[in-house]
Amino acid sequence: MSAYMGKLLYIDLTSGTSKEISPNPVLVKNYVGGKGFGAKILYDLLPAGTNPLSPRNLLMFMPGPLTGTLAPAMRGCVVTKSPLTGTFADSYFGGHFAQEIRYCGYDGLIISGSAKQPSYIVIDDGKVEVRPAGNIWGLNTFNTVEALRREMGDDSVKIACIGPAGEKLVSFALINCEYNRHAGRAGTGAVMGSKNLKALVLRGTNTVKPADPKKFISAVDLAYRELAEEETIAGFTTDGTPASIDFANDEQLLPTLNYANGAFEGAAGLNAVAQRRELWFRNTACAGCPIACGKVGIISRGRHRGLISDVVEYETAAMMGSNLGLSDIREVAYLVKKCDALGLDGMSAGGVAGFTIEAFEKGLISTEDTGGLELKFGDTASVDFLLEEIAARRGLGDLLARGVKKAAAALGGKTADFAVHVKGLESPAWGPRSVPGMGLALATADRGGCHQRAFPILYECGGEWNGEPVDRLGLKGKGEIVASLQNYLAALDTFVKCDFATYGISKKTYTAMLEAALGEAWDENELLLLGERVWNQIRLFNLREGFTRADDTLPKRFTEEPLPEGPYAGAKITTEDLDQLLDEFYQVRGWDSEGRPTGQKLEELGLNNMPLFEQPGL
Amino acid sequence: MLYIRGEFDLCTGCGACLLACANRAVGGYNPRAARLKVYSENENLVNRPVLCTQCENPFCLNSCPFKAITRNPETGVVLIDKDTCTGCGICVEACPDKMIQLTSDNKADKCDMCGGDPLCVKYCVPRALQLVEKKGAAVK
Repeated sequence: MSAYMGKLLYIDLTSGTSKEISPNPVLVKNYVGGKGFGAKILYDLLPAGTNPLSPRNLLMFMPGPLTGTLAPAMRGCVVTKSPLTGTFADSYFGGHFAQEIRYCGYDGLIISGSAKQPSYIVIDDGKVEVRPAGNIWGLNTFNTVEALRREMGDDSVKIACIGPAGEKLVSFALINCEYNRHAGRAGTGAVMGSKNLKALVLRGTNTVKPADPKKFISAVDLAYRELAEEETIAGFTTDGTPASIDFANDEQLLPTLNYANGAFEGAAGLNAVAQRRELWFRNTACAGCPIACGKVGIISRGRHRGLISDVVEYETAAMMGSNLGLSDIREVAYLVKKCDALGLDGMSAGGVAGFTIEAFEKGLISTEDTGGLELKFGDTASVDFLLEEIAARRGLGDLLARGVKKAAAALGGKTADFAVHVKGLESPAWGPRSVPGMGLALATADRGGCHQRAFPILYECGGEWNGEPVDRLGLKGKGEIVASLQNYLAALDTFVKCDFATYGISKKTYTAMLEAALGEAWDENELLLLGERVWNQIRLFNLREGFTRADDTLPKRFTEEPLPEGPYAGAKITTEDLDQLLDEFYQVRGWDSEGRPTGQKLEELGLNNMPLFEQPGL
Repeated sequence: MLYIRGEFDLCTGCGACLLACANRAVGGYNPRAARLKVYSENENLVNRPVLCTQCENPFCLNSCPFKAITRNPETGVVLIDKDTCTGCGICVEACPDKMIQLTSDNKADKCDMCGGDPLCVKYCVPRALQLVEKKGAAVK
């Protein structure tokens, strides 16, 4: 007995058939679950150069071996090849959907092919059915959830679905996992749309059984205690992530007017104080999470009165707020909810809108492209218009639906200078010019511009690394910090952890929970080796797709335009700085100067002779 | 007597109570196997915990044709005697809050307050579940 369910479910939508697979135990031991399973399966089953929106691409929903247990704050991830970046993509979601995959009896879902007509999948314990989506196709995500619950006659089913943006293959469409929980980044929703798949509906009665129940509970209790004793966690419980608005604003990291600046005069309109005043009634949490960073409430005054809103979490509060010059949280909440309903990633949408408004202000697009509307920063109507156009792929929206990288390539001129992305993924809400370690983390993140693979800001802004204070603007030693964080977090992404819980739960306790759940001996070094293996596996995928050192880079806004004001005025990460950061990072990683893992490194990680994940025959 | 009360305004919907309860009840984790429920409404604006309140006038106890359900005279907890239970399911139908289910051994199963120190309360970090005193409760 172990916490694994022992089976993966492979569904081929082209033939409408499915098959249960017992994964090779060697692979289970070496990749554990979540990100690890996804990385290995995508590498082995997806031929190089596959069009992400072709039926051949795989869409995987991967929980981990701790998901669905009492281990606090565990989630799942969607793994696929991204239509936005062309890289490996893993996008994490909270809520209750990943847990239900396990209760249905599976350690993961692998979906291939494309349905002949718009469809949705129902998995009722072991029974798998592909049903025509009928009138549900075209509905926004909120109405989709409602319609599917009605169809099933059961409000307890767990649903993942796309909105109109996913149906229209918008490159940054998300998958909604009820409510305000999404596999948001890198266009997983477009992949789902390309498969003609509107939703998955799950209901499961299997139980998850840790190998050593008593040891497991002791480890879980320890994790609960660590979370209760950590101040940062208490901060998430009280203020959610919007507390970071003040931190980022003070530290000149807050994206403002398409990253032109790192501080926003209207920041106080977006922070936790403003959100508590205008939005919040109460705390809400994902499955099995004592932190409860979610806050739900109803807007009680102004033109959006009556709108139910979850917390406008930091990333979207910044990307749709300060980045677009909006300082009224009610307007931002309205726009973010619109993104959720349409099925658009609010982070990328904020990046795309900021890019477009700047292009308009610079005269690179005009009212001819906008049906007469003057696009402006600080104007809800401008953003509202863009979101509608993008989701429907109308006019300019069709171009913008491809993300800032491709939009800039098509618009030409100087637009590429202010298209803020890495590898095509719109940058997250952490302007890195005064934190070069963060710059390196963005440049080398596996799915493109992402802050979740390593977050060295915590160390660069007054922290310590190995007992030594970290020089914020310095370059030396940042490679080690970034690589080390990437490895550790990749390991925990096989479990599948929530980012915030890692501020409380110790490495030792995570290891203890895994050991007791699986009934295997694990130590902390093996955990780091697991993370490094997964990271290198994904690097091999991206290299095979043609990515090189030249793609481990930052947008011009960060390399050429210095921060204009504040205590770090003048700071930027020049291309020479970046080269120095990369050289050290590659060296720490045991990669050659082009960023390719050496033979010795692959051997160390067992990647030179790892068994293949076999193509399931149907 | 003591019973467990759940508050919609404090419940975050995390379901740790359900997992802890299910693990004790059936030896594995799945919220559907728990002896309490949490209903989420209105985009999770409301999470409504529903628990056995050890009713003063328990429909389950009243309905059992085999007198398998009794109230512990000291604690007031309404308990099912598994040896007497025939699995007829009448109590399952009788409880309007659906607080009784038939388990895989075909026996009726309900909240027994974990013998006095309920796990659901222990794992409820937001303190939405609390042991409260029911004053002057009639003991049937």
